[in-house]
Amino acid sequence: MAFALSPPAEATREASTLAVSRARAVRRFKLSLLLPLIAIFALVLTPVLLLQLYFSVHQWTVYLSSWWDADYVGLDLFRDVLTDPRFGWAVVRSLAFATGSTLGCFVFGFLLAYLMYRPFRGQAFFYIIFILPMLTVPVVVAYTAEMMLYRSGPLNDAISHITGFNFQVSWLTNPHLALLTAALLEIWNWTPFSFIIMLAGLAAIPKEPIEAAEILGASKWRIFWEVQVPLLRPVILLALVLRFLEAMAEFPKTWALFQGGPGSATETLPIYIFMTTWQYFEVSKGAAMSYIVMLMMIVIVLVAIQLLRREKRSLDAMYRQRDEEEQAAGG
Amino acid sequence: MAMTKTQRRRLTATARYAILILWGIGAGFPIYWMVITSFKPDNQWFSWPPVYFPHPPTLDNYLNVWFGAQEYANTQYAISSQKPLLSLWNSTVIAFTSTFLAVLFGSILAYGVSRYRILSEARMFQLLMLRMIPPIVVVAPLSLYYSALGLLDTRTGLILVYFLTTLPYAVWMTKSFIDEVPREVEQAAEILGASRWRTLFEVVLPLIRSGLVATFLFILILTWSEYLLALIITKTNVSTLPIELSKYQGSTEGRVYGRQAALAVGITIPLMIVGLIIRKHLARGFSFGMVRR
Amino acid sequence: MSKFDVTRRGFIEGGLGLTVANFVPGSAPFASAATMEEQTIAAAKKVGAAKVNGMIWSPYFVPMQPVIAEFTKETGIGIGGVQDISIFDAPQRAMAEALSRSPQFDFIHIDSNMIPSLASAGFLEPLDEYIKNSGFHYDVVAGYDNFMKYNGHTYGVPTDGNVHIQYTRKDLIDNPDNKKRFADKFGTELKVADTWEENLRLQEFLMDPSKDLYGSGNLRNRANGVTWWYMIFYSAGGFPFDDDMKPTLNTPAGQYAVDIYLQDKKVNHPEAANWGTPQMIPRIAQGHVVSCQYWDGTCKTIKNPKQSKTVGQFYYSVVPGSKFSGKMLRRSISSPLAAILINKYSPRKAQAAYLALWLGSGKNSIPIVSDPVNAFNDAWSNAHFAAPQVINAYTQEGIDAIKKNFEIVCPPIYLTGYLEFQDALGKNLSEAYVGQLAAKDVLKNTENEWNKIVGRIGRAKLKKDLVSYKAAMTKRDVPA
Repeated sequence: MAFALSPPAEATREASTLAVSRARAVRRFKLSLLLPLIAIFALVLTPVLLLQLYFSVHQWTVYLSSWWDADYVGLDLFRDVLTDPRFGWAVVRSLAFATGSTLGCFVFGFLLAYLMYRPFRGQAFFYIIFILPMLTVPVVVAYTAEMMLYRSGPLNDAISHITGFNFQVSWLTNPHLALLTAALLEIWNWTPFSFIIMLAGLAAIPKEPIEAAEILGASKWRIFWEVQVPLLRPVILLALVLRFLEAMAEFPKTWALFQGGPGSATETLPIYIFMTTWQYFEVSKGAAMSYIVMLMMIVIVLVAIQLLRREKRSLDAMYRQRDEEEQAAGG
Repeated sequence: MAMTKTQRRRLTATARYAILILWGIGAGFPIYWMVITSFKPDNQWFSWPPVYFPHPPTLDNYLNVWFGAQEYANTQYAISSQKPLLSLWNSTVIAFTSTFLAVLFGSILAYGVSRYRILSEARMFQLLMLRMIPPIVVVAPLSLYYSALGLLDTRTGLILVYFLTTLPYAVWMTKSFIDEVPREVEQAAEILGASRWRTLFEVVLPLIRSGLVATFLFILILTWSEYLLALIITKTNVSTLPIELSKYQGSTEGRVYGRQAALAVGITIPLMIVGLIIRKHLARGFSFGMVRR
Repeated sequence: MSKFDVTRRGFIEGGLGLTVANFVPGSAPFASAATMEEQTIAAAKKVGAAKVNGMIWSPYFVPMQPVIAEFTKETGIGIGGVQDISIFDAPQRAMAEALSRSPQFDFIHIDSNMIPSLASAGFLEPLDEYIKNSGFHYDVVAGYDNFMKYNGHTYGVPTDGNVHIQYTRKDLIDNPDNKKRFADKFGTELKVADTWEENLRLQEFLMDPSKDLYGSGNLRNRANGVTWWYMIFYSAGGFPFDDDMKPTLNTPAGQYAVDIYLQDKKVNHPEAANWGTPQMIPRIAQGHVVSCQYWDGTCKTIKNPKQSKTVGQFYYSVVPGSKFSGKMLRRSISSPLAAILINKYSPRKAQAAYLALWLGSGKNSIPIVSDPVNAFNDAWSNAHFAAPQVINAYTQEGIDAIKKNFEIVCPPIYLTGYLEFQDALGKNLSEAYVGQLAAKDVLKNTENEWNKIVGRIGRAKLKKDLVSYKAAMTKRDVPA
């Protein structure tokens, strides 16, 4: 530092030009690293969102005019959507579907992960079997479900054989059950996801606090609730949030299997938007609906992101502390 | 309470195996059903009572679906203009190219984030929105925009959107690998006079090779099975396997379940293989740096 | 046939066609010298060879291939690529094409009820000019060609009549024991039903769920069920709009139709609410159904022993009617009436149009409609009804029933916005059928939704459309 204060003027200038050019090079390099992202936003996302905005304030009746000639109607379409009971029901169905399937995935995933996080004979085998559903293409899940779930189909038949009752559930045609069936499929399909995350989370918990609690004679139950769950909070949150968001967007299974029916029992938001836009060609109403859903989802995602960030920070802090302690111990 | 410790341990172990086996059956049965249906002759597809094991098993479904072999089909099920092999090719090209692009640009971005903080932590999380907002909300204007650009029903079009929607995963996942590379290695490379790009491509990325492979395969799973975007953006020229599968519904003869299953097995097997190869890395892919090893 | 022969034949026919087309345009004596098919070839040759692309479902397309191959041999016009898409999904895909004004598909094979919507969206090429050039005429029963016309232009070439006929199980009706029990119970003879009420009564009487035998094989799913509703509604004297395009669903005729429609639940399979043709046709052919109204092609499936356990066990007849309006009316329906339509934005539209007209000639389409395996293309032309091949595929009894039903056939809503109107009604009917919606609200809700659709598309425009719709409605009460 002292040296840097007293060099001849020329050298300072040289050093500073070097520093400036270096900084410029770094800046240019950083920009070029960012370029693909900037290109995506400028060339794809912005035009698409602008088009969507255009449609949501212009009534385009596809039979009458080209889209660029559509009439400006202000916020009429948004009012239409918000007063449309069908839209309201779709929101309710989507929330119910997403909440139910998220909880289902989580409970089963966590249970399985808890049973498996410590090594035991056959662990690898079970792990492989358990992740298979996640590796099945969603449309395949839908069509396989159709092969299995009709009234005299293998599922009812197998349950009848096992229980001895004549089990006759109309999984696909009973309007009170259809959404549940869709949720069960989602749970079947995505429990592996929660399982994998929870398993990794459980395996990463430091052993010391658990061992300490065991020495103190705490029951497994208490260790679970008072030591493991608090340490798992970030992972639990992650499993819930991601699953919920993905379930809100679920389309392939519900569409391939139900197309919104029976009646309108499985008309969730993605299905309703799809039908409005691609079956009734109310592109404008679909756009307004999309914007509302997008805003709704952005709010949910932002809240979720805040939660995740907070947890990640505390997690990072915890691990940093541990690393430092280890280093101190090692050194 | 009278149980000895060994007894209790044995009981716990039994209970654990019981639950795991039960769930294993639940998880495996639909897959089993799909596979056996693909080997069933037509009179057992939709029979009552259901047939739990095909007798005699037959390869007709596979030969008919994948090789268009009509002589193996009872003629009424022959659907001649389906082109699963073409779809297989489309799916392969689209999934591999988009995944390659996502991993390439994802790792470049991740490197920038890890070493140059080109995105703040908040921005990194906001990047996830690309993935978390349901695609249905933008798919209509996207298709109009595409039709204006001539990208509708092209592989390029689908590759571009798949690239977009998987980029967040690629960035997060590769970043978790890059974070583990000690900076000293890069500093050494820099001192030896390597340019920044060379450092990235010839030093950093090769070091995380296995991580890149895991990321690649992870994203491949997502692009391979995508349905909604393909449904809307493709028409005649480009049809991916999930779309092809949905065409196997309907004909006068009832659902052609056996054929559908033969196709479904063909779509699913590659995915399962890929998934099993990278099973150890799946958690990292999904967890956005939230799960430590 | 040697290569030389082909060329010579092509040369002669081409020459003949050219002569007719070039030197004596529209001249009646000469026009009769060349057949419709020859004229089509001649006209097609003038527009040059091309490979055309289309959207068509493979069960329809497969039996067309040999007929197309013949045309290709003569004119060089053939098929480049097809998008294989189900007839039920095609309307949406076609509208998406119309919106993007895409020239990708030269022709689309689709429910003809989409003509008003697609023509209004500017997507369809009128065929009048091509029809004149090729001397084409629709050789059909009664005014069936009106299904192809909209606002004074002709837009489509049918490939599939798809009229509904009544199927009733012979073995069950003619069973002496059943006859006696029925007579004892109701005091009338057990026979093929003439009215909806009689039909329900015999279905209920003969069904036996313990043997997996259900009374009805009608569709009641969200996409197709509404087709059945129109038959009942029309036969009760109903029509969905007044002259000012105000919905007239919530009328006695409408309520009657809803009531009959929902009573099907008593006699149909418990899972019918989600079943479409893929599930139902095998049920009918395997003998699990007493009676139903169904598309005529099912005759072919029933007659094919590979697919059917009920060969020769069905009566084919006119669909039931109703005396609700004061006089006996019977109304059959044709939907989806699959037809080939031409894309106005296509650079190969002339080639595609002539190919369509070639496929639409009564003579050429005989092998198409008589294919017993890919049974989706159903007879529609008078030429078919006389052809031994066709009669053999459907049975004489089947053909007689088809002809009779054509005399009283109607379209569902034949207006711009068909899909929207149709889905609003279909959704409400389906909800009522599964018990989500009270029967009394079906028509009220539908009228509200329809009013909004009319507002959006424009009352004045739809009032003009109404003319074409009414022209397609049959003028007869019952078949002659």
